[in-house]
Amino acid sequence: MMPLCAAMLLATAPQVALGQAAAAPTAAATAAPAGPGAAAATPAPSATPAEPADDVVTASGPEAAGADPTAAASATAPAGSYTPLGPDMIKGQPIDGRINFQDQYSPNGQYALWMHNAVLMPIITLISLFVLALLLWVVMRYRRGANPVASKTSHNTLIEVIWTGLPVLILLGIAIPSISLLAKQYESAPEDAVTIKVTGYQWYWGYTYPDNGGFEVISNMLPEADALAAGEPAQLAVDKRMVVPAGEWLRIQTTAADVIHSFAVPSLWFKLDAVPGRLNEKRLFIKEPGIYYGQCSELCGVRHGYMPIAVEALPRAQWEAWVRTQPGGTVGAPEPAAAAAPAPAATAAALPAGAVSAETPGMDAAQREGETVAETPTT
Amino acid sequence: MSATPASASTPLDRRNARVGAIALLAALAMLALGFAAVPLYRLFCQVTGFGGTTQRATEAQASLAALLGQQAGAPRISVRFDGSVARDVPWTFAPERTTQTVRIGQRDMAFYVARNNASVPVTGTATFNVEPEQAGRYFQKVQCFCFTEQTLHPGQEVRMPVLFYIDPAALDDPNMKGVEQITLSYTFHKSLTAPQ
Amino acid sequence: MATTAETFQAHHGDHAHHDADHKPGFFARWFMSTNHKDIGTLYLIFAIFAGIVGGAISGIMRMELMHPGIQYLGWWVNFMGGEAGFDQNLHLWNVLITAHGLIMVFFMVMPAMIGGFGNWFVPLMIGAPDMAFPRMNNISFWLTFVAFCSLMFSTFVPGGTGNGAGTGWTVYAPLSTTGSQGPAVDFAIFALHLAGAASIMGAINFITTIFNMRAPGMTLHKMPLFVWSVLVTAFLLLLALPVLAAAITMLLTDRNFGTTFFDPAGGGDPVLYQHLFWFFGHPEVYIMILPGFGMISQIVATFSRKPVFGYLGMAYAMVAIGFVGFIVWAHHMYTVGLDVNTKMYFTAATMVIAVPTGVKIFSWIATMWGGSLEFKSPMVWALGFIFLFTIGGVTGVVLANGGIDDNLHDTYYVVAHFHYVLSMGAVFSLFAGFYYWFPKMSGRWHSELLSHLHFWTFFIGVNVIFFPMHFLGVQGMPRRYPDFTPAYSYFNEMASYGYMIMAGSMLIFFVNIGYALFAGRKAEGNYWGEGATTLEWTLPSPPPYHQFETLPVITEANDYHNHLPAGERPANA
Repeated sequence: MMPLCAAMLLATAPQVALGQAAAAPTAAATAAPAGPGAAAATPAPSATPAEPADDVVTASGPEAAGADPTAAASATAPAGSYTPLGPDMIKGQPIDGRINFQDQYSPNGQYALWMHNAVLMPIITLISLFVLALLLWVVMRYRRGANPVASKTSHNTLIEVIWTGLPVLILLGIAIPSISLLAKQYESAPEDAVTIKVTGYQWYWGYTYPDNGGFEVISNMLPEADALAAGEPAQLAVDKRMVVPAGEWLRIQTTAADVIHSFAVPSLWFKLDAVPGRLNEKRLFIKEPGIYYGQCSELCGVRHGYMPIAVEALPRAQWEAWVRTQPGGTVGAPEPAAAAAPAPAATAAALPAGAVSAETPGMDAAQREGETVAETPTT
Repeated sequence: MSATPASASTPLDRRNARVGAIALLAALAMLALGFAAVPLYRLFCQVTGFGGTTQRATEAQASLAALLGQQAGAPRISVRFDGSVARDVPWTFAPERTTQTVRIGQRDMAFYVARNNASVPVTGTATFNVEPEQAGRYFQKVQCFCFTEQTLHPGQEVRMPVLFYIDPAALDDPNMKGVEQITLSYTFHKSLTAPQ
Repeated sequence: MATTAETFQAHHGDHAHHDADHKPGFFARWFMSTNHKDIGTLYLIFAIFAGIVGGAISGIMRMELMHPGIQYLGWWVNFMGGEAGFDQNLHLWNVLITAHGLIMVFFMVMPAMIGGFGNWFVPLMIGAPDMAFPRMNNISFWLTFVAFCSLMFSTFVPGGTGNGAGTGWTVYAPLSTTGSQGPAVDFAIFALHLAGAASIMGAINFITTIFNMRAPGMTLHKMPLFVWSVLVTAFLLLLALPVLAAAITMLLTDRNFGTTFFDPAGGGDPVLYQHLFWFFGHPEVYIMILPGFGMISQIVATFSRKPVFGYLGMAYAMVAIGFVGFIVWAHHMYTVGLDVNTKMYFTAATMVIAVPTGVKIFSWIATMWGGSLEFKSPMVWALGFIFLFTIGGVTGVVLANGGIDDNLHDTYYVVAHFHYVLSMGAVFSLFAGFYYWFPKMSGRWHSELLSHLHFWTFFIGVNVIFFPMHFLGVQGMPRRYPDFTPAYSYFNEMASYGYMIMAGSMLIFFVNIGYALFAGRKAEGNYWGEGATTLEWTLPSPPPYHQFETLPVITEANDYHNHLPAGERPANA
């Protein structure tokens, strides 16, 4: 047992330290114009871009170990295949004027969407229309002109039993899929799921990859002008996304460093509060590569509205390439003895990525392979 | 409920005072219950593992668990370690190993490394929980750095141990079916009691 | 049926002439009042004033939300005496949502429902001369008033980034403790303390009055449903508010005296605050709607000229709602990190509430069934209430599902849901009750035409505001955002137009009150006629300053409420 510990310690600890030390200043510099800098583009007369900027700089203190892909990538990564997904890959975002849920890209989300659309909506629509029809009927039929003498009926045991019992049956009908949805949402992530620890800060997100070297990606909102220039929606676009592999289980863990935040991505049917002093966990599966936007969903102070979430799901190979661009980023940490141990290796096991790439519309993997790191835009 | 002869005002006043006093007592009882909720909630979490609260075990209990686990031929389970610091704590704090595989019932030791990056001594105190939450009642700590406050001098780096085991009773709990990994998480906060 | 109103005219005839109408001087009457009707009037005036403030705040919010970007907040920061800046503007937004929520809950709906109509009509309906503790009643009102002042004051003192408390009406720790420096949050919490104390005193008063001071012969099972609703509400207040008081007291000591009840740094748990808050908070939503249920029952029966269908079922449905209301609180915290069994329990328990609520909806319809419906303004508001509350109720069933709530939690779907049950449920019942009883309280008629106009414009307005919010919610727009991505523009703009319709509608309401007070014709004792059978209709309008000096007697022969099965009813009824 203990030699294994030591081996892993050797493998990971220095990289953590390196990530912390090297990345902070650059991260601060690049993150500076982020976040509420959008104000500069809004008509608010008093909003100065400089002001939010220095706030972000303070935020990137010792605890905010950021990561700068350009700096790190050129230093450590081999000519990789990571390019941030472009706006053509935006899948989870609100659409103006739409009256139903965002399209769902996780199995639980699709099941929940089915439950809402096929079970709940018909039932609540029918009940509302039924009540409306009854009201219209009594209004027509029993208005004073049509029914001058009121009846004296004030009891009917049978009908009272029916309208107590029938709702119970309807609710039971709802409860069955509802309970099964909950059970699905609460299944534990498999041991080898890719773990991402999401930390809420006032007012940005940090994404730590403990199995991949422990680096933390600091994610700030893009100013409106930058977002639009990148072809992304204002107030949802971020400078550094939470990059995850698609087509495999993720273990999302949330916590917060100051007040309660909530990590929410509507198109993945995912919402989990980030509570200071405790860790929450839910598993997540993103079916296909794409960009999925979300927003902080628990009031966390003044810039609550300006800490969006952007999840970028990539095929396994590209995701691994991205990890290697991060300071200290490793994939499949060298744990040679672990393979021989009775239990499977605890770090993220490399899964076949082919299945994922196959169902990736609009993405030309080969073309991305050809690109060099130097061309990687940093937004 | 008998009819009230309200014209006789003195008996009514007395009855009003009685009902009013009972109602006031009920309100005061709820107020007391509101305050009592703090220790009661803590107790409830400690007993049931609600919210992923871990349990404390003695050496004797640990030995017994090891025996039971061996007899049951308990399988192994993966344990993940997570460390966070509150925003006002100038520490680097992380587990030495992110994950470890342990046999259920068997004691195991894990280490966290904490380093004070500030130029002044800082005393920290840790909160903790496990995920998934139903594992809380089976996660037994024999020794933990989180039981006491930790003071780190400027630049000081310490290894902090936690000695734990997974209660073999977990094997009989249907809620634990399919749990392949348990995460033990600590967050260090600045101690409010110690002079900083 | 219901000739009982005339039967009782004899009683008021005894006391209508001499000193029953002797009133104290202006100051003593309105500032030291111990008269339940005067205190009720004070509460109603206060609630209308608070409603104007809270409604104006929502006007600022809808104005800001009409288009993406921050447009007007800076102006309002300067207007409020602050210094506009990016964060200051955003802070003002949080102050506005906090104030809107607290004002509408604690200083508009509750004072109007319980303090206003409860004070006015519970004694009248049970045949009591006044409340059990008239002086405590007065203290309750003035505590509420001081609480409102404290909340208003909090918006002018520092609360962190700017002036005012920007924590949301839920005042979650640690945003409300370590996350908000400055005294504003303390004043807001103090306001909650005072309002809570006032409501607890009111609850004690109502419970005592209803238990001890019913007229001879009026058993609990003969009480009008409005009295039942206030009784259940009073119990909810009595048992829920002290828990809030405890929770916010601990917040105060966490903020000011170094305790760590909810601070993880000292071993506290911020999630516990949420448990305590919602242990109060969920009964609180029934506190706001149950008296409305009671009023709707009275009104529907009156204008159908029929006794309420299934009286006992209606009464005990409210008791059931009140009881279940205490064991469903964590459905407000589905995403906080509950384990699966807890979430399943709260999902199931929450859905149970739909059953007694359904009983009430169907019983109202059954009351109208076979009736002789007259569409006076209170009835129209009641019909609007039944339909819109149903919509609010069914979206509640959607949200009850913990797995579905994972997407909808803290989105505009929730905002739409609770405004359908409160802004349309509670407020529609308030307007229904207002038009039902206004001539009784003032002795003067409002304009029925304006009342109907008010109804239709308000109906359209609030639906245009809140129905699109369902769409924003399912598309993922989070609550409490001053700004949004342009993809949420369409329905936000629509909602803001809805607000303008609603605001115009409120003008009609105020014109109507003005018309009634200055030009309204005099109202007789029982102006709704045959269908109005409860005791307040046996009195002139307005009732004498002191009523029921000779107590009315309720017997089987003149069971005013007449809810006995037809076969068992005495022949003369």
